[in-house]
Amino acid sequence: MSVNPRLTRRRFIKGVIYSGAAAMSGAGVYLANAQSRPAAAVERLISINVNGRTRRVDVLPQETLAHTLRYKLELTGTKLGCNRGECGACTVLVDDVTHYACSMLTHSVKQRSVTTIEGLQSADGQLHVVQQAFLDELGPQCGFCTPGQVLATVALLKSNPRPTRDQARDALAGNLCRCGAYDHYLNGVMRASGQLS
Amino acid sequence: MSYMHIGKDFTPPCAQGKITGAARYAEDFRREGMVFARLLTSPVPSGMVRDIDVSEALRMDGVVGILTAEDLPAAPRPGVPALSNELTYVGQPILAIAAISEQIAENALERVRMNIERRPFVVDPLDSLVEGGPNAYPEGNVMMRGENGMELRSLKWTRQAVEDFRAGREPAAEFTTEWSYGDLEAGFAESTVIVEEPFVTAGYPHHSLEPRTCMAYWENGRCYFHGSLQSQSAANAPLSRMLGIELDQLVFINETTGGGFGSRIGPYPFMSIAGYLSRKVNRPVQVRITREEEFFIGSARSGMQGWIKVGVKPDGKVAAVDVIIVNDGGSSGSGSGSSSAGAISVSYQPTAMRFRGASVFTNTTPRGAQRGPGQNEMHAILAPVMDKAARQLGMDRVEFRRINAPDHNSLVEANQGPVTSAYMREAIDMGAQMFDWQAKINQPRRNGSKVIGIGVGEGYHAAGNNGFDGIVRIGPDGKVYLHTGVGNLGTYSYAATVRAAAEVLQCSWENCEIVRGNSDLGLPHSSGQGGSNTIFTHTRTNYVAAMDAVAKMKEIAAAELGGSPDDFSIDGTRVFKTATPAEGLTYAEAAQRAIALGGKFSGAEYPEDINDLTKLAVQKIAGTGLVGVAKDNLEKNGTAPGLAIAFAEVELDLDTGKYEIRDYTAVAECGTVVHPKGLSHGMNGGGVWGFGMAGFERHVYDPQNGLPANVGLYQSKPPTFLDVPRAMHTAAVNLPDPQSPFGARGIGEPAMGCAAAAIMSALTDALDGHLFNRTPVTPDMIIEHVAQNTYNNKSLKINTF
Amino acid sequence: MPSHDVMPDIELYQPVQVEDALDLASRLAERGWLLGGGQDTYGWLKDRNKSPEAMIDLNGIEALRGIRETASGLEIGALTTLTEVATNPLIQASYSLLSDAAVKVASPQIRNVGTVGGNLVQDVRCWYYRRGLSCYRAGGNLCYADTPQGMNREHAIFGASRCVAVTPSDTAPALVALDASMVIRSTSGERVVPAADFFVGPNVDIRHTTVLQPGEILTAVRIPNTWANATFYFEKVADRNVWDFALVSIAVAMRESGGVIQDSRFVAGAVQCTPRRLEAVEAAVRGKARGEATAMSIGTLASNGAEPLTHNGFKMHLVDNLAKRALLA
Repeated sequence: MSVNPRLTRRRFIKGVIYSGAAAMSGAGVYLANAQSRPAAAVERLISINVNGRTRRVDVLPQETLAHTLRYKLELTGTKLGCNRGECGACTVLVDDVTHYACSMLTHSVKQRSVTTIEGLQSADGQLHVVQQAFLDELGPQCGFCTPGQVLATVALLKSNPRPTRDQARDALAGNLCRCGAYDHYLNGVMRASGQLS
Repeated sequence: MSYMHIGKDFTPPCAQGKITGAARYAEDFRREGMVFARLLTSPVPSGMVRDIDVSEALRMDGVVGILTAEDLPAAPRPGVPALSNELTYVGQPILAIAAISEQIAENALERVRMNIERRPFVVDPLDSLVEGGPNAYPEGNVMMRGENGMELRSLKWTRQAVEDFRAGREPAAEFTTEWSYGDLEAGFAESTVIVEEPFVTAGYPHHSLEPRTCMAYWENGRCYFHGSLQSQSAANAPLSRMLGIELDQLVFINETTGGGFGSRIGPYPFMSIAGYLSRKVNRPVQVRITREEEFFIGSARSGMQGWIKVGVKPDGKVAAVDVIIVNDGGSSGSGSGSSSAGAISVSYQPTAMRFRGASVFTNTTPRGAQRGPGQNEMHAILAPVMDKAARQLGMDRVEFRRINAPDHNSLVEANQGPVTSAYMREAIDMGAQMFDWQAKINQPRRNGSKVIGIGVGEGYHAAGNNGFDGIVRIGPDGKVYLHTGVGNLGTYSYAATVRAAAEVLQCSWENCEIVRGNSDLGLPHSSGQGGSNTIFTHTRTNYVAAMDAVAKMKEIAAAELGGSPDDFSIDGTRVFKTATPAEGLTYAEAAQRAIALGGKFSGAEYPEDINDLTKLAVQKIAGTGLVGVAKDNLEKNGTAPGLAIAFAEVELDLDTGKYEIRDYTAVAECGTVVHPKGLSHGMNGGGVWGFGMAGFERHVYDPQNGLPANVGLYQSKPPTFLDVPRAMHTAAVNLPDPQSPFGARGIGEPAMGCAAAAIMSALTDALDGHLFNRTPVTPDMIIEHVAQNTYNNKSLKINTF
Repeated sequence: MPSHDVMPDIELYQPVQVEDALDLASRLAERGWLLGGGQDTYGWLKDRNKSPEAMIDLNGIEALRGIRETASGLEIGALTTLTEVATNPLIQASYSLLSDAAVKVASPQIRNVGTVGGNLVQDVRCWYYRRGLSCYRAGGNLCYADTPQGMNREHAIFGASRCVAVTPSDTAPALVALDASMVIRSTSGERVVPAADFFVGPNVDIRHTTVLQPGEILTAVRIPNTWANATFYFEKVADRNVWDFALVSIAVAMRESGGVIQDSRFVAGAVQCTPRRLEAVEAAVRGKARGEATAMSIGTLASNGAEPLTHNGFKMHLVDNLAKRALLA
């Protein structure tokens, strides 16, 4: 994509958002390939199901889910702590299973349902039981890892509604907290599972 | 003392956004027309960039601009230039390219052509100190006082001195810093136990989980800046200077900060990139900082290499301490050796003491404050050293600490000044009882390859400043608006400290609203939320502002209802005559009168002694209510200490060198507890940081090419859920400091030092008194020790294994 | 040096049939990159230290997933996730050595997408190599780790041959111990390679850690019932208990009868470029009862012949200790 200076500002933004990282070289390479595309090459305009809604998005072949969520769907609750699968701040649920959104391709979730932190509250804004428990226990410190910790807990309680503290540690182990709020998060898990009054 | 708010738990208003994802960090903001900048960083540890050619990059479609060092004001050397052609470490930013997407910006970086003239480099301070060793800068390796003040000079030790120092002998050498008190010689002369040890602690990056992304744009001559700092208001003056604009031309927006730990106390030079680049390209610019860049520019703890000699009298009193510390100053920043030594003077109250040191530049990342800089690594080293002294005396380790603990009469640090108060003995007693020290040390210790170690360690940091400002506004709606310049860095101290104002105004928390996060909202000057000071410093500022508001309400009421202000009282919603409570005004009415009266009541006038930023803030809110504003001129005499003691039980596996922390108990001595949950967060989080220091975190630099080995999180090894105890126990002495209106002091940094010290003490205990004299202690070191390949046979080094 | 972390331009193919994937793999050869869980893909690409032209995403191929009982044991599709391997009842019941190893990989999220195939073929973690330096393995002509000043705490104590990187896989030692074999397909057919021969050291191929050739796809892992329900021991020692790669790991299978060990497999991870069979230990314990005496008797057999570098001598003690522990557990 080349930038036409005559584009209106709004058009320009749309271009940024929906073509995203379509570098001029990248788009060129991509389109060149597209012309002689083998049967299995991916379409760019795809539908993905995020938080119960189907969204049409223009997604580059190499695009990570974290990038799509943050820069195209404006779901900034998914945090980029390392962009390397080394921290867990970008944890989302794909079909109820925890995934690092920085380390998966958006094209891999086409047939699946993605839940981000923004998708947990009910339609009337009521907090998810895990969110309420984390609030009651004041789980977060700086809060940057918190969406990931909440989602890891939601996934855990779906498969194991009354985990032991040790099981909770294991389940949340892929979520780093640099502030060291681990004990408070575990209290949140125990409260959310009704084991702490 | 019973309070409405102080000492009570509450839900800080930002917490909901953190658990719903609605909380916004700098990287979450978008602006129409926003472009993305990426950094080109140094591939070499030392050199000069010659002949940059950016023409090809600039010609690329989608590239909107480039910022180089020439676009920025000259930076001091040594320093932390935002962009530079003089390269002093791998990863140093050279230039920034803005493009319509990050990918284009990254592609453009690859089209930049440049020649780099390499220079000699060094990654270990002793390798630089030794005669003939390379200097990190052509002019030298240390800052020393010269004819024109502090200047860059070359400090060299003889080969013999360096060899002695590494081997644990006192070197005959020159230093750049030195202090002492008492009669050291006499102290050692009356000592029956003398312990002399070398030591090394590793530096390591802060790696706050939120990378320090910035976004800036300009409108009507003002710069709107989204950044990530520990403090909200400490940003404005230095950042506006950095951008070359007036204080009122900067709007600093920082609703949430993803951790700081000392690396974001004030604006860091890299922030200017977003500001200058957005002005240059006339578009909003986001500079997203990657994890690797966070390692490069996000600051790091200074490593230290040292020698310590401790003399103890037969009664257990520490009589003399002599300590030498060579700090790794990185490519800029000064070491914290003097603070390390100062911490010894506090925790063990030696009768005589001497510190000598030098901070030596290396071609490694810039260094700065990191949670208890100096004090915490010193305590980690000190605990086993003092344990050795206690053992040689035949004295219980807790009792030994009790005998030497500071109290109200103690003198501290190099200048041997007073403390505001200190209840360390109470903390030690409380902790020993909670932990059940006696039972723990008497339990069976060996089970197969596993051995139990019991440790105790202390933490200290000065924990309170004074002289900052507070603003409290009562709206015509009767609501109390608590303006704060304290940052939202994860400690909740922005909310905890404004509760001091609510306490003074006796108003319900529901009737309060915290105003923060954007300097255009009218926020008072604040300390930097470094140095564990916020609770002490800003309960005071909120107290004086609220007292000012109360005085103004009484004055307004007296003018309207007769009598003198002293005849009036408040109850949280009304100001009324004490004798005839029916006569009075509601807070809302008082605020309406204030607006009508103007002058000092509405903020149209304000005290002369408040900071310029606070003056601007008052100007912004003038006329919107009754404005209480004041500088903290309360008495403060001496150091307000934050003190902590921790106890740890580890189960160490001699086969694998791994250990599990089976019990961890820490007690804070931070005066009155303001926010119990916030305190337990600070103590537990500090504990986790302490475990990281003791067992995992370190820089590794390759001496062959100056490359850092551990730029990412998995190599830097912050502790995970499975590296910390299943449960952690904390408590507080909770006795008031007389120099704080609500008795409170800070604790953030000591919370870490005591944990690192307790683990180090426990490891030494598990291994029959073996001293590793280094942090971190990793499994390989333990295995080598058990196999009797004593690790210390290798020369001790800071940045290498 | 730009500090990259944005995914570069690359084509993506998402075949749903093995045949299509094989066709793509064959056609693209070294220009293609097989994508399983991607956990050893995105870092290379974001760093731009590997620059293939296209990713062939294998995740849509159902035939490559799943754990099946066969007449002679188990077959595990290469795309089966590590979480599935770690929690599969068949594996847990009879081949718990593998599930014990799989559960120790990295972190829960990585195990949720990381595949057993990917875990086996992942590249080495030598930090010099990963930084993009032009070392032997990267096609250059020197090694930065195997020098007196090299930062080589995590590197090899055996089998150095220009390169001293170690196998990072947790499941590889377990599968070698279980006498597993690898099913490899290409457009020209299928070959089945024993695990012990699947991994290759730098003396054989300095650029690759397995025998997989461009155009080939690892489609399944077969575990014979040779060691079903044997006595197993797996232990991984790493700095942190999450994310980190092993400093040393050990996977042991022992067939006991009449109170003594009839036969065994002792396999160490992270001591050389491939999983290392500790044959001297296996020979020494044959016919002996598990326990203290046998454990003591193996002495330093596990580490015999090791040639440690400046900073990794501890691995000798560690591998000796782990071998003993397997006999004591």
